[in-house]
Amino acid sequence: MSAQGHDDGHEHHSDFVPRRFVVAEFPSPQSLLDGTTKMREAGYAQLDTHTPFPIHGLEEALGLKRPKIPLIVLCGAIAGACIAYSLIYFCNVFDWPLNIGNRPPHGPPANIPITFELAVLLGGGSSFFGFFALAGLPKPYHPIFESNEFLRASIDAFFLSIELPPGTDAERALADVRAAGAISAEGVEESER
Amino acid sequence: MAAPMLTPNDPLEPAPLIDGKYSDKEINNSLLAHVWRGAGKGWWACFAVALSLLGMLVISISWTLYKGIGTWGNNIPVGWAFGIINFVWWIGIGHAGTLISAILLLFQQKWRTSINRFSEAMTLFAVICALLFPLIHTGRPWFAAYWLLPYPSTNGIWPQFKSPLTWDVFAVSTYFTISLLFWFLGLVPDLAALRDSSQSKMKRVVYGMLALGWRGSGRHWAEYKWAYVLLAGLSTPLVLSVHTIVSFDFATSVIPGWHTTVFPPYFVAGAVFSGFAMVMTWMIPARKFLGLKHVVTMKHLENMNKIMLVTGMFVTYGYVMEHFIAWYSADPYEFAQFYLTRMHGPMRWVYRTMIFCNCVVPQIFWSKRWRRSIPVMWFAAILINVGMWCERYNIVVTSLHQDFLPSKWELYMPTWVDLSLFAGTIGLFSTLFLLFLKFVPAVAVTEVKELRHELAHDPTADPVGETH
Repeated sequence: MSAQGHDDGHEHHSDFVPRRFVVAEFPSPQSLLDGTTKMREAGYAQLDTHTPFPIHGLEEALGLKRPKIPLIVLCGAIAGACIAYSLIYFCNVFDWPLNIGNRPPHGPPANIPITFELAVLLGGGSSFFGFFALAGLPKPYHPIFESNEFLRASIDAFFLSIELPPGTDAERALADVRAAGAISAEGVEESER
Repeated sequence: MAAPMLTPNDPLEPAPLIDGKYSDKEINNSLLAHVWRGAGKGWWACFAVALSLLGMLVISISWTLYKGIGTWGNNIPVGWAFGIINFVWWIGIGHAGTLISAILLLFQQKWRTSINRFSEAMTLFAVICALLFPLIHTGRPWFAAYWLLPYPSTNGIWPQFKSPLTWDVFAVSTYFTISLLFWFLGLVPDLAALRDSSQSKMKRVVYGMLALGWRGSGRHWAEYKWAYVLLAGLSTPLVLSVHTIVSFDFATSVIPGWHTTVFPPYFVAGAVFSGFAMVMTWMIPARKFLGLKHVVTMKHLENMNKIMLVTGMFVTYGYVMEHFIAWYSADPYEFAQFYLTRMHGPMRWVYRTMIFCNCVVPQIFWSKRWRRSIPVMWFAAILINVGMWCERYNIVVTSLHQDFLPSKWELYMPTWVDLSLFAGTIGLFSTLFLLFLKFVPAVAVTEVKELRHELAHDPTADPVGETH
């Protein structure tokens, strides 16, 4: 698999431009963090790390902004609470008020449990679905799966992937990532299907 | 390192959470080994027993639906019996899983890592068993949506939102959904590890689909960590609310023995108590047969025993308080319920089993030797499961069978349908659990790897492996 490989026999899909990546393995979490920082400072923009578990300090190394999940969950939880309370209010006060012992139709303490439960349900649901939406998963195929070494990214290896913009020289990126501490590096490209 | 030498028995210093020194790959392979290994004779034997119990569940549910709930032993005044006893018992068992996975995560208790996946799965299966009972007890579950869910039906009526039973519907269904999402979110990186270490194409495709294309991306991890911890943060008040609301089913009524303000905290503590007992019951054989002794160490078992001791004392306090208030209120019905019916009535053996199993048995865990003895803790855990079932029987049936008017008093006997439903849910639980142990890693592999790195780089933590 080589970054230089070009597809020649695909006339009917001539507009297909494969995405190209450099996938580099680092020996330890710390060297991955250092290498990532170096590559980012060298001007590579589309960096991503691939590790079997979250590594402390990745956000800084990748230069990520604040995570969006907390805000999404907050909105979900507030929406859940509002939906629950307004539903109960609508049913008990407008749609079908029941007079039981002349108690008021709107009884706030009795509404607490359902309001709370729906806040948790929608908050938790937005955490789960919000995460997968932000991550763009499920995504069964990704070009970096073309690397045979990449199988170990979920087991015991620490990878850095660099997406190369069209027209970039892969050899330079490979040399740079080796200089940044990678023990091995290869170019992969998206296969046409 | 300037840190003092750690002695293994110093209670202030952590015992190893991962026993021995392993690489990520060794952890990966040892924790996934039981998934790749073919099912052994022992697994098939257990599975056969579980399936035959499940068959009893199918028969008893079919009979209930065909003939109606008149096949149950319920009568007047004992209008609530096995259905709600088993519901509360199973829901309570589920609570330990959420406690381990969510509350201990928020408190940064590192020892939870080895047992959280296992107990979260238990939560899910226990809640499935619990949910069966309210559904079947309606007699016609296909109509239950009319009564339980607020949707604009042509009947033009709504559920009674001021009833704890309606709160229960929301609480338990939310609990199940959130537990499932939390469990699956934690499982995704492990499914990717399974995908990438599978040897056959079929397994790779199946685990690959379940892993949703997870590639351990740092951009994903950054959001993932927040999603996971927020789900934990939401599950924590959720688990407290669920059993609180379950206890409201009783506490908001006027029945002597139910009408008690101590119910919510005492139910929650009882739930955690019984849940940990159930985790122990399964964990002790599983760690042996699945080869998990290096990640589920004696320290984990000992910690769980300590939690059982603490929650057992909460429960004991609940009993003492109920009896005290029954006397202090000077209400003759309350007094008769606690001091005559329960202690000396026809169901006194249930009361006495409950007191013995829930108050006396956990006291053995004061002794370090017994806290670390596998046969003792396993036997104690089973007794606690029995005791907590008796507690619910005591609350539900004993309180109802002798109520305000002696001419109404009636004994209660479960029928074969009641007993098969209960045994059947144990079968359902065991079947699901055995399948889980066969197809999913029983320990959160990703989190154990993370813990290993954390411990290796934290000079104050136990030097993993260095003492071995």
